Amino acid sequence: MPETYPAPANAAEGVAMMRVNVKILRFDPEKDRKAHWETYPVEAQAGDRVLDVINHVKWYLDPSLTFRRSCGHGICGSDAMLINGRNRLACKTLLRDVAKDGGTITVEPIRGLKVEKDLLVDMEPFFDSYRAIMPYFINESPPPPAERLQSPEQADRMAHSSNCILCACCTTSCPIFWVNGSYLGPASIVQAHRFIFDSRDQATPQRLNIMNQNTGVWRCRTAYNCTEACPRDIPITTIIEEVKRAVMYQQA
Amino acid sequence: MYRGREGQWAFLLHRLSGLAILAYLLIHVISISLFMFGENAYMTVHRLYDFWLFRIGLVLIVAGVVYHAFNGLRIIVMDFTGTGVAYQRQMWYGVLAISVLAALYTAVRLYPRLVGGY
Ligand code: FES
Repeated sequence: MPETYPAPANAAEGVAMMRVNVKILRFDPEKDRKAHWETYPVEAQAGDRVLDVINHVKWYLDPSLTFRRSCGHGICGSDAMLINGRNRLACKTLLRDVAKDGGTITVEPIRGLKVEKDLLVDMEPFFDSYRAIMPYFINESPPPPAERLQSPEQADRMAHSSNCILCACCTTSCPIFWVNGSYLGPASIVQAHRFIFDSRDQATPQRLNIMNQNTGVWRCRTAYNCTEACPRDIPITTIIEEVKRAVMYQQA
Repeated sequence: MYRGREGQWAFLLHRLSGLAILAYLLIHVISISLFMFGENAYMTVHRLYDFWLFRIGLVLIVAGVVYHAFNGLRIIVMDFTGTGVAYQRQMWYGVLAISVLAALYTAVRLYPRLVGGY
């Protein structure tokens, strides 16, 4: 097995290669009591994504490395990782943005969820919180012959929150969520916002009540980590504050 | 440590300053109420506060109270307005500046006590 993998044959002549040490927090529940760091030297292009580098480690250096990825294009939301101390999608992070030639990048599993193996965490609690906000369209009135129409302004109200891909970058960057897993978390609130501010949906009071519970929106202490972490550039804190106000004005 | 930005540190400092204020208040109430047991009990504890750590603590507690108060205002602005969220970073630097100024002012006013004790 080569220490570093030679550049792919079709790499353009003259494309600058860089060497990076990829430091990954490994954990094998069958062998390890505690997670430990493992460093892999990799040669890659500056324009490669961190996902390419991790794939390289798995394919050519250590096949036992475990992580999730699927689409590779920032759509499925499966490869959220703690890269260089911040939550990001490995498939949307370019190597040159996180490492210099000869430098080191660190990759850890996202926090606050149980690590199953290496970078793979148990997402079930995260999806339980998602289900808790009734993430489906509710409207009991008989459907019109064609679409249920929205004005462009009404569509804009939910434009940002409907961009969410449920990658958990936000929820697992939240200091409140780390210490209190029962907090529904930013992702669920964004999803709730998507329906609360959908002019066609009729379950707003129920959802606002869920948001008003002590696992809901008031746990947010505006640390902004979620907003910084979101790979879809959703203004999450703004959205959470909108939901807080909607809950409050509903009470008034 | 998660590499969060200003918001994370604002939150952490708010927590810490809140806890510090709480601790200060408890110590304050307890040590003053010691007077119930006479002047001797009261003075034995209060002489402790001449220790240099407590003297410097005076400056820190002022910084903590001012930080907590002004960051609280920042949070109110963020909770009620979208502009507050947009300018949270700038507001936080403002809060920090005010806290540092308040601490400096206290240090200057208390200078004799800080270096010489009571
Ligand atoms: S692999 Fe699908 S979002 Fe990254």
